[in-house]
Amino acid sequence: VRSPARSSPPDFGAAALFYRALSGRDDELAGYEGDAAQHPDTMTRVWLPDPAPGVAGVAASDWYRVALAHRALHHLLGTFDLDLAAFIDDYPRSTLAAEIYATLEDLRVDTAADRLLTGLRSTAQVVRAHELKARPDAWTLPPRAAAAEALVRLTLGARDVRLPRSLHVPVSTVVAAARQVTTPHATARTAAALTRAVYDTLSRLRNVGIAAGPVESFDFAGAAAYPAPAPVELGADAGEVLDLRFGPVAYRDVPGPRYRGLDDAPPPSEGVVAVEPGDDGSGDEDADGADRSDGVDSADRATVDADSAGADAGGVVPDSAAGLHPGELADVEQGALSASGRHEYVYPEWDAIAARYRPDWVLLRAAHPPGIAIDPAKRRAVRRYAHLLPGLIAALERVRPAGRDVQLRLPDGDDLDLDACIEALADLRAGARPSDRVHAELRPGRRDVAVAFALDLSASTAVRLPPTPDRPGTGERILDLERDAVTLVSEALERIGDAYAIYGFSGAGRDNVVLTVVKELEERFSAATLRRLGSLVPDHTTRMAPAIRHITQRLVHFAARTKILMVVSDGRPFDIDYGQQYGEPAVLSYAIADTARALDEARAQGVRPYLITVDPAGNDYLGQLCDPREYHVITDARELPASLAELYVVARDETRATRSVSRLPSR
Amino acid sequence: VTSQPYYLPTGDEIELFRAAYEQRIPVLLKGPTGCGKTRFVEHMVWRLDAGRKARLDEPLVTVTCHDDMTAADLVGRYLLTAGGTTWLDGPLTRAARTGAVCYLDEVVEARKDTTVILHSLTDHRRILPLERLGTTLPAHPDFMLVVSYNPGYQSGIKDLKPSTRQRFVAIEFGYPSEDLEAEIIAHEADTDRDTAAALAFLGNRMRNLDDADVIDGPSTRLLVYVAVLIGNGIKPARACEAALVQALSDDTDIQDAIRAVTSAVFAA
Repeated sequence: VRSPARSSPPDFGAAALFYRALSGRDDELAGYEGDAAQHPDTMTRVWLPDPAPGVAGVAASDWYRVALAHRALHHLLGTFDLDLAAFIDDYPRSTLAAEIYATLEDLRVDTAADRLLTGLRSTAQVVRAHELKARPDAWTLPPRAAAAEALVRLTLGARDVRLPRSLHVPVSTVVAAARQVTTPHATARTAAALTRAVYDTLSRLRNVGIAAGPVESFDFAGAAAYPAPAPVELGADAGEVLDLRFGPVAYRDVPGPRYRGLDDAPPPSEGVVAVEPGDDGSGDEDADGADRSDGVDSADRATVDADSAGADAGGVVPDSAAGLHPGELADVEQGALSASGRHEYVYPEWDAIAARYRPDWVLLRAAHPPGIAIDPAKRRAVRRYAHLLPGLIAALERVRPAGRDVQLRLPDGDDLDLDACIEALADLRAGARPSDRVHAELRPGRRDVAVAFALDLSASTAVRLPPTPDRPGTGERILDLERDAVTLVSEALERIGDAYAIYGFSGAGRDNVVLTVVKELEERFSAATLRRLGSLVPDHTTRMAPAIRHITQRLVHFAARTKILMVVSDGRPFDIDYGQQYGEPAVLSYAIADTARALDEARAQGVRPYLITVDPAGNDYLGQLCDPREYHVITDARELPASLAELYVVARDETRATRSVSRLPSR
Repeated sequence: VTSQPYYLPTGDEIELFRAAYEQRIPVLLKGPTGCGKTRFVEHMVWRLDAGRKARLDEPLVTVTCHDDMTAADLVGRYLLTAGGTTWLDGPLTRAARTGAVCYLDEVVEARKDTTVILHSLTDHRRILPLERLGTTLPAHPDFMLVVSYNPGYQSGIKDLKPSTRQRFVAIEFGYPSEDLEAEIIAHEADTDRDTAAALAFLGNRMRNLDDADVIDGPSTRLLVYVAVLIGNGIKPARACEAALVQALSDDTDIQDAIRAVTSAVFAA
């Protein structure tokens, strides 16, 4: 039975970048509790003990660095580049061969780590010394396991080992072979070649009973290779285990299927028994069976679902006040709120039933997600929708103005205004005072368009769409599509130079509206933007109006001729204390009236709002909120990226066309 | 260019450039920042100039392009004098007159309508129309145009017009291999081989974060700076902090990750 797996505890965030830098790989870091032997790394997942083993003088983060540097160097130095399947198949006892190869590679990698990562060396040595202390006494083990243990001790930096004297000669041969991987020029091929020598020596030793002779200290420094005796037919004695697993070392990976050239494939069924007492053995080889075995699969899924606030695959889940208690509704009728923090803002709310604004009624907090995880979403989105991009850019560029105008008769500038020069010279000769405004310059106009995208982050965006033949696997969430859509459009905006901002909004009561800032208008697009976009999570409900009011203010204070607000949502506005005081039937109309009022306010301040929703029922209420040209309802959420792009082109065209014709009425 | 600029070839770029020069085909150098594009041009111009009987006063005319650059900045402009105006050649005109190599660095930074003035210079016509003078300047037989740009920079936000880019043969530059980079660092910073090798190793690891879109680079130039600081008695960890950690990111989370890598390679 596998111990419960936890995926990516927060500690691994910074460690993930460290591992990524050293290895160049985008592997997942996962934590486990319990038995290391049950968690061999795969080609896509690195298992780390969580919490990190306590080692005196070594912080957990440093311990993880040692462990991750070790894993990364395995990749960097080519441990898995050999055709391991063919290599291991040459050995009758494949588990033993894999263990030997892995241990030799561990030694090679640790030696290289000390050479390449000098800053980590002293910590790594402390970690190794700590591991060494926890090793079993070699002399208590059966001969083969004892010799193997001597090898592991050597790799951990031991100087000697206590062994029965009859084992000194074989161990000497093993050590002499192992030392050859510590030279700077040793490669994985060297380790593979030496595996044979060690295998031949170890497989000749019985794996039952205790070796003969008095227990004496064996000094690794004095080890030399002895000529190998003639090959003997291997046979299992009664009670002898067929194969041998070495005791795991906490900071290293245990050899799983990938050391046999297999990854995520079912392990061969083989009688494998572990050295460690209390280990049932037969399941050891099941490396990342995690993904297949029932227990863990469902556990994994449970973790995912916790993230997505309980949304289930398939059916549409209404926005819910997840995690809130009925008692919290009690303060609805209390008075105004006030902002106390730096990123807090209060906004009024339109109470349609009382026909008045409730001043300072909503507290909005602008959250800046740290977003440390690496998110491949942009590349994925850009790749998947790459076919839409050229058309979108072309459409946007068609309406893009030159952006710069020649300004004549300037007192200084880049170029001379020849007409003005001639006039000035004529004046000069005629005895009149010439003008000094004889220069011309191309001056950039103001930023033409600024757009803010507001993404609905309510719990219902965690709904997964059912997989389709062209999109197999787990279905995408609406949030993923929102992200893809805004990534696609932002890619186009970057190219044509419109200023844009990206926000996510969610609510959990009027005193807790959260606006997640992915990118502000003034901010440059950067890797951090992508990571923040990647770190958006579904949360609570859709209180749209305060987000609209806040973003409108951001747009109003930004210098651009055209200002557009695009709201992407997946359902009607709803919150736990949003009109409920007038009874359940009033809730929808209250929320819609407030949202409509917020949109009116935006229009009055020169911001043109557009709404796009994946809620098929959107037509029912969006018509009350805005002009038919200002909203778009899509029936299949997968069309969201294409639709958002289209709507943006339309919005940009329209706002530019109407801008000069009519001033929007001010309230 | 007075002495031979140091340049270590990573491939056949020297032969390619020479062949292009023989036929005066314009060359486009593509590659990330700090990988040696400008140094390569200087090196090649030095080689070409060394082969000439009469050396030019200015064999290489370099223009760093920017968003506000106008055609007048390249071609030339009238200046005011006491009695009227005088014409001043721009760098492109100067190079076309004298037969120098004109190198437009970061050409995509210039606006597309600026770079179209290159068109008649970069095809069989080899002429530069001087609109304000009402004349056309035939390019000197030795004149050659070289432009560079960094395709990764701002991930394709800026690009050349197809009609511009298809007038050039492209030589692509990447960062040098780890061994070569160590040699370059050791030469440029005059540092010991171990430090250079460690910096090249570090640089190559950090570029894994570039692949992940976390940072850009680090460039060979930046690694040389670190080596120079170390050579001048700054402790490696401090040199990395100043020239790598702070130079690569302002985001504290990313800085922490970079610092973790640099401190793994160089003991504090």
